[in-house]
Amino acid sequence: MALDELTREFLIESQEGLDRMERCLTELEARPEDAALIGDIFRSVHTIKGTTGFLGFKRLEKLAHSGENLLGLVREGKLIADRPTTTGLLQLLDGLRSILKSIECEGSEGDGEDTALIARLEELQAPAHTHAKPAHAKAGVHAAVAVADQSQELHAVAGQAAQDKPPAEPDPEAGKARVQAVGSAAESTLRVDVTLLNRMMNLVGELVLTRNQVLQATASDPNLTLLSRRLDMVTADLRESVMKARMQPVSNIFSKMPRIVRDLSQSLGRKVRLQMEGQDTELDKSLLEAIKDPLTHAVRNSLDHGIEPPDVRQAAGKDPEGTLKLRAVQEGSHVVVEVSDDGAGIGVERVRQKAVERGLITAERASQLVERELLQLIFLPGFSTAAAVTNVSGRGVGMDVVRTNVEKIGGKVEIESRPGQGTTLRMRIPLTLAIIPALIVRSLEQSFALPQGALSELVHVPPEKASTAIEWLEGAPLYRLRGKLLPLVFLDRLLMPASEHKGSTERDNFIAVLNADGRQFGLVVDGLADPEEIVVKPLSAVLKNIGLYSGATVLGNADLALILDPGSIALRAGVTMSSNEEAGRGAQEEAEAGNNQEYLLVEVADRRAAVPLADVLRIEQLKVSRIEYIGYRPVLNFEGQLLPVEDSGGVLAGMAGNPEAQIVVVVCREGSRQVGIAVSHVLDVASGGDLFEAGTTARAGGVTLLKNRVTGVVDLGGVPALPVAESAPAEWDQYANGTAEAVR
Amino acid sequence: MSSAVSALHRKEKAAVSLAEMCSVRLGKTLFGVPITHILEIVGGARPQPVPLAPSYVGGLIHYRGDVLTTVSLRQLLDLPPRDGPQDILVLESSGGCFGLLVDSVGEVLTVSSADFEPNPSILDERRRALFVGAYKLKDSLLVMLDPERLDPMRLGEAQPA
Repeated sequence: MALDELTREFLIESQEGLDRMERCLTELEARPEDAALIGDIFRSVHTIKGTTGFLGFKRLEKLAHSGENLLGLVREGKLIADRPTTTGLLQLLDGLRSILKSIECEGSEGDGEDTALIARLEELQAPAHTHAKPAHAKAGVHAAVAVADQSQELHAVAGQAAQDKPPAEPDPEAGKARVQAVGSAAESTLRVDVTLLNRMMNLVGELVLTRNQVLQATASDPNLTLLSRRLDMVTADLRESVMKARMQPVSNIFSKMPRIVRDLSQSLGRKVRLQMEGQDTELDKSLLEAIKDPLTHAVRNSLDHGIEPPDVRQAAGKDPEGTLKLRAVQEGSHVVVEVSDDGAGIGVERVRQKAVERGLITAERASQLVERELLQLIFLPGFSTAAAVTNVSGRGVGMDVVRTNVEKIGGKVEIESRPGQGTTLRMRIPLTLAIIPALIVRSLEQSFALPQGALSELVHVPPEKASTAIEWLEGAPLYRLRGKLLPLVFLDRLLMPASEHKGSTERDNFIAVLNADGRQFGLVVDGLADPEEIVVKPLSAVLKNIGLYSGATVLGNADLALILDPGSIALRAGVTMSSNEEAGRGAQEEAEAGNNQEYLLVEVADRRAAVPLADVLRIEQLKVSRIEYIGYRPVLNFEGQLLPVEDSGGVLAGMAGNPEAQIVVVVCREGSRQVGIAVSHVLDVASGGDLFEAGTTARAGGVTLLKNRVTGVVDLGGVPALPVAESAPAEWDQYANGTAEAVR
Repeated sequence: MSSAVSALHRKEKAAVSLAEMCSVRLGKTLFGVPITHILEIVGGARPQPVPLAPSYVGGLIHYRGDVLTTVSLRQLLDLPPRDGPQDILVLESSGGCFGLLVDSVGEVLTVSSADFEPNPSILDERRRALFVGAYKLKDSLLVMLDPERLDPMRLGEAQPA
């Protein structure tokens, strides 16, 4: 629908005004006497009313007008902003929003009736609600109406009109404040169309590619080196600035939450205090849009299933008022958004029961699952623990939607829950959608890009081993990945079903183990190229309809590569939801070896050591020369962040004389920071059991049994934080001894 | 319809007018595309094939920061594929930009609306749907293509692959 410039401007401005009003209203509940808040709300409604009169939106004007009357009374102190009043004002807000929406979509106000709402607003102005004498209240109404009438006149004469207003009316002042606020914001900011920003992003991507080619072409010419270096720098800066322009603070979606929490806690009879943290954390606009629904859903879930009613809480010895915490924080190239409550937590027994009831898992398997695996079940489609379907949650939009939405943008969802203490849902979102890390694979003599987010590991099957390593079950290729059968999908056969393909014994096979929407499968490709940060380009509708590709990208060597969508590949190849089996398998292992944990088995200078797999973020192979030193401490500049590198095994020291030598750095998560561990090789992934000292039942710390060998576990917590300039020597010795022991 | 060809068509009755057409060669036939619809001509390109795409899709090319879908005129006309690099006309249609893969791009010709004839009735249906008509040149015919009709989205609707 084409709207004229003026109307569009009005829509944007009104939306902003209403957003502000919503924030103020929820705050007003806590501080009903705050005159500044009331003034702010009044101005929002007043502005809308003034402009609508000018643009001729009668329905909007009428509604805004009755709201303004009510607000006028509140502002003059003739009415207290009690709960019914706030509720009425929030209803007004919703009414205004829906009309604005209809204007935006259809170009007209629609034919809805607002009489009920207007009547409600008028009712709230009734003397019963005023704490002044009825006669005064009536006068107040008249005054407000009179002012409202005047404000319909053009803004240009507003100052003049104000002179005729009753002296009690502080409107001119308010108007001035508004003008000032608008003025200062207008000077430093500018509204830019998102499509223009997208175009700029595209062009910058193009510039990056052209720069790469220029750099290659001019590498041999010393006269041009300086110029191309400069081009290089400017391009990098430009790219960063354009990306920054797309960033918006998380507060844009966090600010919607107080209202949701307020409405829900009222309708559910909960008492909830909302805490928000890290609101100025920034995220790409499109990503912010994408996590809005999952976040809202998580908040609803916390209120409905998490936080208990006040009496239950009191009985459990908790503060009757529950706490819901929203937190956003940037961790490297990701933003973590957390929704945590101090409610009842997730009852794993209920989850087990429900999953069996809904036929998501067999009773036998369910009985073998441990807590962590049971929690994962709530992400299965069709799962809901709500005993009854309330209008809050349990409407079929389950946690699976949260997971699907977050995974769609390359993020991850984790859940933690402690019975009686609360639940934390953590969404890990990439900073930007436009650029994603991907592994470039080769098949059909073409390059394809696989998003790193879905990739869990790579397995190489050389041609001579293919006949034994790849097993066939009635035409279905399978691979035994650490004893479990992994369904395989041959990319070439999937993409070109009609033509003949080389058998797996005639070529190298690389199995990319992918996780998509709860399915695990191996994608077999002919070759691997380097991982690359790729700029995602959209495909035309014709090609999007094929369903297997999520986009295309231009590689560093100017080749084009299609970006594969692991979820669609799994669907197309008929890989079913394997979560049941998955969970079942996990349980079997669990039963075999007790409380097992997966470890990454590494070799550090001829010794074997283990790193808990859950903590491993990435494995980087790089030249020794990439390692730099702060004092004694080896560090690595990793994706623009400084990473302390742990070298108790002496891998770095052993290669000091050979800057070209390759080493492997295992990048791990330790608490909220990241550390790197220098190792010689990565051997395997294995699950290890606890060891008990002979004659005791005390678990031995720092060691595990891996592949029937006692293996030291690297103590990630023992890696000291940076910087350590002054205390480095002493701490270094101590820590080196400590971890050397652990490694041994 | 915004096509210059059809605009020409309409004007034909009123007065003789001149238009500039970019000539492209495919096999033995000379085709024409109104230059007003051509954004750029990319020579010697090798489009990246897209497995499982409809047959008329000639592949993808990288064009000014975007990835463009190309339409293979040879495939559309059931001609055998040609080895080696091909020329690409980057065309603008109401649905966006796309590339048209042709054997080679020739000179720009100025044609007169007086020489225009609509499609002959003996032309098969497929071709009739793609062509607008032809201009009678001195020693050959210039078969007119309409960018709107070649848009991959339109083709996708016409012949579900």
